[in-house]
Amino acid sequence: MIHITDQPLSFEQARQAVSDPAHGAIVLMEGRTRDHNGGRRVVRLEYELYPEMVTVELQRIHSEILTAHAVGKMAFLVRSGAVPVGEPSVIVAAGAAHRAPAFAACRQAIDDLKRRAPIWKREVFEDGQEWVGQQEGTP
Amino acid sequence: MNIRIRYFASLKERLGRHEETREVPGGTSPRALLREVLESAGAGDYAPPVVFAVNLAYVSGEESLSDGDEVAFLPPVSGG
Repeated sequence: MIHITDQPLSFEQARQAVSDPAHGAIVLMEGRTRDHNGGRRVVRLEYELYPEMVTVELQRIHSEILTAHAVGKMAFLVRSGAVPVGEPSVIVAAGAAHRAPAFAACRQAIDDLKRRAPIWKREVFEDGQEWVGQQEGTP
Repeated sequence: MNIRIRYFASLKERLGRHEETREVPGGTSPRALLREVLESAGAGDYAPPVVFAVNLAYVSGEESLSDGDEVAFLPPVSGG
């Protein structure tokens, strides 16, 4: 599943999307707006997307992961627009027979999404706002 | 040839628009097209870090475009 929306994301939707009687393990990762960055208080994050290319690039990432790991299903949920503190901007999920490939696939999914998906984040602080540059965050 | 151009984030703000279509000579590359766009916007000395995409796939920027292509100039991504 690849789902792009400006509405709040559903952890349960991601979980259902990768559930299967053959899957003994489901691993999910939720990326949320953190209340601080670089010593400043963050009010919210705002996400801008190139939606057609996000879809296509996530399809590529999805294929690569299914080839590289013994995983059955993946889900990518992406939110555009304003995301307040504590709410998720992205959820990735992997369902597999066993936990080792589920963990590996989920990790690769979020790392590849952050590196390749055409999505831009603007940080809104109490005293200003700015586009986040090269990804400098802590994984 | 007719090319559709998409702009995002900081570059979109700098140029004041999110997309346009342009007539460009055959053989134009994405990199050359960006230079031309910046020059005609009076921003010839603005050299933003950008990667190029054509028809929803990353490219080096040196390729020759074809009629009807969609080019995107992508500032460094930061999503997820």
